[in-house]
Amino acid sequence: MNAFRTEARIALAVARKDALAELRGRHATVSTLFFAAIVLLLFGFALGPDAARLAAAAPGLLWLAVVFAGTLAVNRLHLLETDDGALEQLALYPVARRAIYAGKAIGGFAVMLLLGVVVLGAVGVLFAVDIGGAWLPLLVTVVLGSAGVAAVGTFYAGVTVRLRAREVMLPLLMLPVLAPLLLGAVKATSAALAGDPFGELGAWLQLLVAFDVIMIVAGAATYGYLLEDG
Amino acid sequence: MPQTTIYVSPRSLGAPDTRPPAVATTDLARLFAGSPALAGVSLRVDAGRAIALLGPNGAGKTTLLRLLATAIRPSYGRASVDGLDVDRDAALVRERVAYLSHATGLYDDLSARENLRFAATMLGTPEPEARVERALADVGLATRADDRVRDFSAGMRKRLALGRILLGSASLVLLDEPYAALDGDGMRLVDQLLGAWREVGVSVLVASHSTERFESLLDGRVMLDRGLVLETSGEGVTSEPPSPSTATRPSVVGAAR
Repeated sequence: MNAFRTEARIALAVARKDALAELRGRHATVSTLFFAAIVLLLFGFALGPDAARLAAAAPGLLWLAVVFAGTLAVNRLHLLETDDGALEQLALYPVARRAIYAGKAIGGFAVMLLLGVVVLGAVGVLFAVDIGGAWLPLLVTVVLGSAGVAAVGTFYAGVTVRLRAREVMLPLLMLPVLAPLLLGAVKATSAALAGDPFGELGAWLQLLVAFDVIMIVAGAATYGYLLEDG
Repeated sequence: MPQTTIYVSPRSLGAPDTRPPAVATTDLARLFAGSPALAGVSLRVDAGRAIALLGPNGAGKTTLLRLLATAIRPSYGRASVDGLDVDRDAALVRERVAYLSHATGLYDDLSARENLRFAATMLGTPEPEARVERALADVGLATRADDRVRDFSAGMRKRLALGRILLGSASLVLLDEPYAALDGDGMRLVDQLLGAWREVGVSVLVASHSTERFESLLDGRVMLDRGLVLETSGEGVTSEPPSPSTATRPSVVGAAR
């Protein structure tokens, strides 16, 4: 129990430090939100003015915007570790590496959750989709989807943080792994918006839960190796 | 200005002659892209000693410190700190080692105080608030505690990194060119720290080009060149030549040329 408390304290310290740095001028959250909004608008232009088509495509567009913008968010949260040897110092602290992963993932989850909620609202406005009647299942879907993107993104941002081409490599590595999450989140969102006529919402949410658990456990177990510098 | 008495808090250390060697390496080698930065170093540093690692650029001083700090892993050979293997027992070694590298490991967008508070949490420092304030005062940054590190000079950053070491309870302190970028006050701070650590029995390895500045604070010296120990002198440090099997490894032999 003491070890758990210690690791929780470490994870919160890492998340708090990332949040402070973010608030002090990294502006990752603001730029990520703008990027998501631009993605949504461009998809809207590409699909044309047909309201029915836009509404039908809305769940897919929502999650594509969240996932694309999410790659930016998790990358930015790791970038501050490139300050003057900060990553090496982080690796040298005598703490469990999974606690560092947890802290980074908590920060990523907070940004992703904010992103998911804002994008969901934007989809409702831009594509004339009624989200008010299904707000609870939609919120659960956003929470589970955000957790999955944060779990995967934190791990792969750790993989790419030392690379010069990290901005290119991160989506290349991360997006294929997110395919099951994208499928589950889009299907769950579609089912929730339609009032779940076929009773499939629960199954898709279960898929998201399973994806999150697997990715969080795998990330926590392996993140420590990413901190090694050879 | 630094206070006259600096607060260092080592883990409870026994008498130096009852402790395992602070550092013991056997045929320690480290390659980078196939080239040896260390080519078979067998070194023993007794507990509680202050030892200088000397040598020209590329001699292997920084690589040796990084291996002992567990920042990198050996390619061949073994190294231990306080009797703990740096590869197998890396997590335990990290509890015992403090490392000041060329990079300070500070976060630019956090203030000096916030950087040290974060470090105190990560190091499990008891009474963290009081210790952070004391460390800031000890390194002469109390009046700049709320300023962002982004606005600090190189010397101030180094002082703050030294303050971070004061928050831990290391039994071995590794300093890589600690005097670089420091002004007169900063250099005196390093002198004070070396004296304080020595007084409480903390072992110290200092990588430097010259010992002129801190000769009186040292017990011994290790001269390195091209990844090998050329000679040791003084007290508390001994070395042996690489074993024949290490010296003749194709990947290592280039260092001796």
